[in-house]
Amino acid sequence: MVEIAATETATATKPKNPARKVGLLNRALMVLLLTVVTIWLVVPFTMAVLWSLVDPKTGWEYPDLLPPSLTILRWVEVWTTTALPQAIANSYMLAPTVAVTTLILASPTAYCFARFDFPGKGFAQVLTLLPLVVPGFVLAIFFSSLIFSLGIYSRFLSILMAHCVLFLPYAIRIMTVSFGQVRQDLIDAARDLGARPIAVFRAAYMPALLPGILASLIIVFIQSIEEFAIAFIVGAPNFTTIPSILYSYLGYNFIRPNAAVVSLILVVPNVLLMLGLERLLKSANPAQAGGKG
Amino acid sequence: MTALRSIDVSKVFEDGFTALADITLSIEPGEFVTLLGPSGCGKTTLLKIFAGFYEPTTGRIEQDGKDVTNAPPEKRDTAMCFQSYALFPHLSVAENIEFGPKQNKVNRDERLTRLNDLLRQVDLEQHRHKLPNKLSGGQQQRVALARALAMRPSVVLFDEPLSNLDAKLRESVRREIRGLQREFGFTAIYVTHDQSEALAMSDRVVVLNGGRIEQIGAPEEVYQRPDTAFVADFIGSANLLPFQRVDDHVVETALGRLTVSGPPDDAAGFLCWRPEHAEYGVTEGDNVVNAAVSELAYQGSYTDLHISPPGVPDQRLHWPGPASGVSDQVTFRLPPEHIRFVRGKLG
Amino acid sequence: MNWRRTLLIIALLTPGLGVIVIMIGSVFYVAVMQSFGFYNLVGEESFSLEHWQKVLDSKQFSRALRYSAYIATVAAIGSVTLAYPIAIWLRRPFRGSLVISALLKAPLFVPGLVASFLFLNVIAFHGIVNQFMMWIGVTDAPIRLQNDRGAWGVVFLQLWKNMPFALLLLTGAVQSISDEVLDAARDLGAGSFARFRKIIAPLTVQAMQAALIIIFIGAAGDFAFQVTAGPTNVQSMAQYMVFLKDSFGRWNQAAVVGVSLMVLALCGSLVLAVLSRALLRSGNRW
Repeated sequence: MVEIAATETATATKPKNPARKVGLLNRALMVLLLTVVTIWLVVPFTMAVLWSLVDPKTGWEYPDLLPPSLTILRWVEVWTTTALPQAIANSYMLAPTVAVTTLILASPTAYCFARFDFPGKGFAQVLTLLPLVVPGFVLAIFFSSLIFSLGIYSRFLSILMAHCVLFLPYAIRIMTVSFGQVRQDLIDAARDLGARPIAVFRAAYMPALLPGILASLIIVFIQSIEEFAIAFIVGAPNFTTIPSILYSYLGYNFIRPNAAVVSLILVVPNVLLMLGLERLLKSANPAQAGGKG
Repeated sequence: MTALRSIDVSKVFEDGFTALADITLSIEPGEFVTLLGPSGCGKTTLLKIFAGFYEPTTGRIEQDGKDVTNAPPEKRDTAMCFQSYALFPHLSVAENIEFGPKQNKVNRDERLTRLNDLLRQVDLEQHRHKLPNKLSGGQQQRVALARALAMRPSVVLFDEPLSNLDAKLRESVRREIRGLQREFGFTAIYVTHDQSEALAMSDRVVVLNGGRIEQIGAPEEVYQRPDTAFVADFIGSANLLPFQRVDDHVVETALGRLTVSGPPDDAAGFLCWRPEHAEYGVTEGDNVVNAAVSELAYQGSYTDLHISPPGVPDQRLHWPGPASGVSDQVTFRLPPEHIRFVRGKLG
Repeated sequence: MNWRRTLLIIALLTPGLGVIVIMIGSVFYVAVMQSFGFYNLVGEESFSLEHWQKVLDSKQFSRALRYSAYIATVAAIGSVTLAYPIAIWLRRPFRGSLVISALLKAPLFVPGLVASFLFLNVIAFHGIVNQFMMWIGVTDAPIRLQNDRGAWGVVFLQLWKNMPFALLLLTGAVQSISDEVLDAARDLGAGSFARFRKIIAPLTVQAMQAALIIIFIGAAGDFAFQVTAGPTNVQSMAQYMVFLKDSFGRWNQAAVVGVSLMVLALCGSLVLAVLSRALLRSGNRW
């Protein structure tokens, strides 16, 4: 009680306190924003979870605000009767392969950008952004046309190639920053102390590169899992990935509960990976990795 | 009338840190006042309160007798020179200087007159179309100065403007700032942690420590007659020595019994004396000290000697001449008129 | 530069940049050649403008082109407009600002199809929007909001997905402006709008252009949002292209649409980039 009285008098004696005004404004903005974010994220995801648990016997029709009863039958049904398990297997085989291949392809170029100066370097760096500015479906369709005429029939290999090209810009960018953070004095010190190349690499390069390598692997992995255009155009109908399955439930025959199940399967692992990535980027340098083109 | 006045100003930040406590300070028109203190003493916070970037937690700010406590910086008749110069990187030298007058709707002719005059005064006429990053540090500093002066402010606030310049340049920009101040007649408040800058430039020095004013006075005053142990130590180098009062003119210290010119306020406390005030060649009489030299360092114009009386910090002496002339023992006299009692203690 | 060093650089660039240039180059080449009647999967190969003529004459194409251009422009300008004030608000950290920026950026990591699906649930008959409208009494019975003719659904999805991207780029750019520069502008009499127009906007113009261009290109080539949530009476360029390819394998015509889409992406981004710079110029002249 005493404390409350004291604060009240304090407030009364200085009615115009700008610091408090700013604090109040920020708090109001924050409440507003949290409301918006709730509508923006919480409500949609809650509805998706509910839809994936709708009991097919009772359904969820207007005017029910919530489904009358919940069950995991849908999950079982989608799992046992559709191509989802195969699609998950495909996606999760493809994505790590893409991530590793992309990293291997990107590293020499990134090393070159970070540690050499040569005429036309700026232009070369802009060129690496090409895959980002070609619309995805144009790339997908004419890539499929290209591989037909080249006579490549493996869908896995085709999507792998396309995904690598598509996600190389991210890997090159991240690894360029990482190679740039390798300190020349550490390299010199290691060599001065008589280290062999492998030891130099472990002592001077590895600590600086590791966050970048992991970040690049995670980002490319997530992108590959999510990628729809190429997986759909090049893969369909023989090679299904999770997004193509989701598309089949959203397109002409719209099966809401199934789409809910697939959506969650697609999103949840990626969110977990993102959380891991956030940590990594904080330990590396987020401002630089965020990247201004 | 005072140009700028702070009355009982204190500032507590959101995290609970008290940056300033009860600062009352009056600055006369045309005066050059330096806020001097170590980092974290609140000098920049006070400057930003004068500029309007911070509003005080309690207390008032008056400019020309008007209360401006809640006026934002864009509405105040003050202009600031920033530590990092804070030039607008996308605007040319001329555009930077014209920014303020344009914002304040000064008409074109007047604006151009001011621009051309200022460019000549800071000697940057041939650089008017360059971007700031094409200029040297000293040139950038002069653009920042011209940009502030283009507002024709009655008060110019300087936030450690020379700290990013090398020593030689510092001196010339220092002279330039004083010159411009005399010419334009603005009131200057100058924040620095460099005591030599403060002593060389100011009409008055305000020594701040831990958010409080330690002493206000002319440069000679704060140097010759420091009130507190902190001021004595921070401005120049001073030796601090604990004493016990014997009578009105004699105190007992680690250097022995010393005669002093005035009576100490307390039975015990600190006195201070400066290394350059030790007199050599006197071996008899009052206040003559003989001690072993514990350390010495040649400084060019003098040699810095340390003696280590028991139980007190090392005392330093300036020995006129090279180190080779110093023996193991040193004998010197402390003139009573240069022994001063100070309040507080160090650390 | 000696030849060994040159060779080394070329060797280093080949697996990354080289692969990109070769692949994108050949895809582009195939698209252009197919649109002129070459590279046919079946039948004769010969140069012809027939495919271009057919497509350009069709009403469907001009509607698709206008529609995609419209969606892309609204998405690009809308996202950047929404993101700027938030980026400025989040410039200096305060309690909770990290959580807010993380939540705001979350849609970046939600795949387009999932975003569509979530949105379709919210606007469904018994979705929360209809329920809310009935509760406040705007309507008595639920309204069909899906696949609305005005493409509001697609626009909303584009903003939902792209605003976080613009925010990501702009936050970085806005945060790199030093406090002292903004303080100096204030001190010289610039109010908050003047500070935005004369200091913040010019100093972040590159990030703004990057955001505008990448969002424009992505939205111009959109397929997923349009197919799931878009109006049924008009097709987007990508949708039209896929449709041509899938119905009777009209590859050449699909190629024409594909090349047009690339031209649209290029022109649109150029216009936006030039326009944003020009606007700032005029702003700086007072």
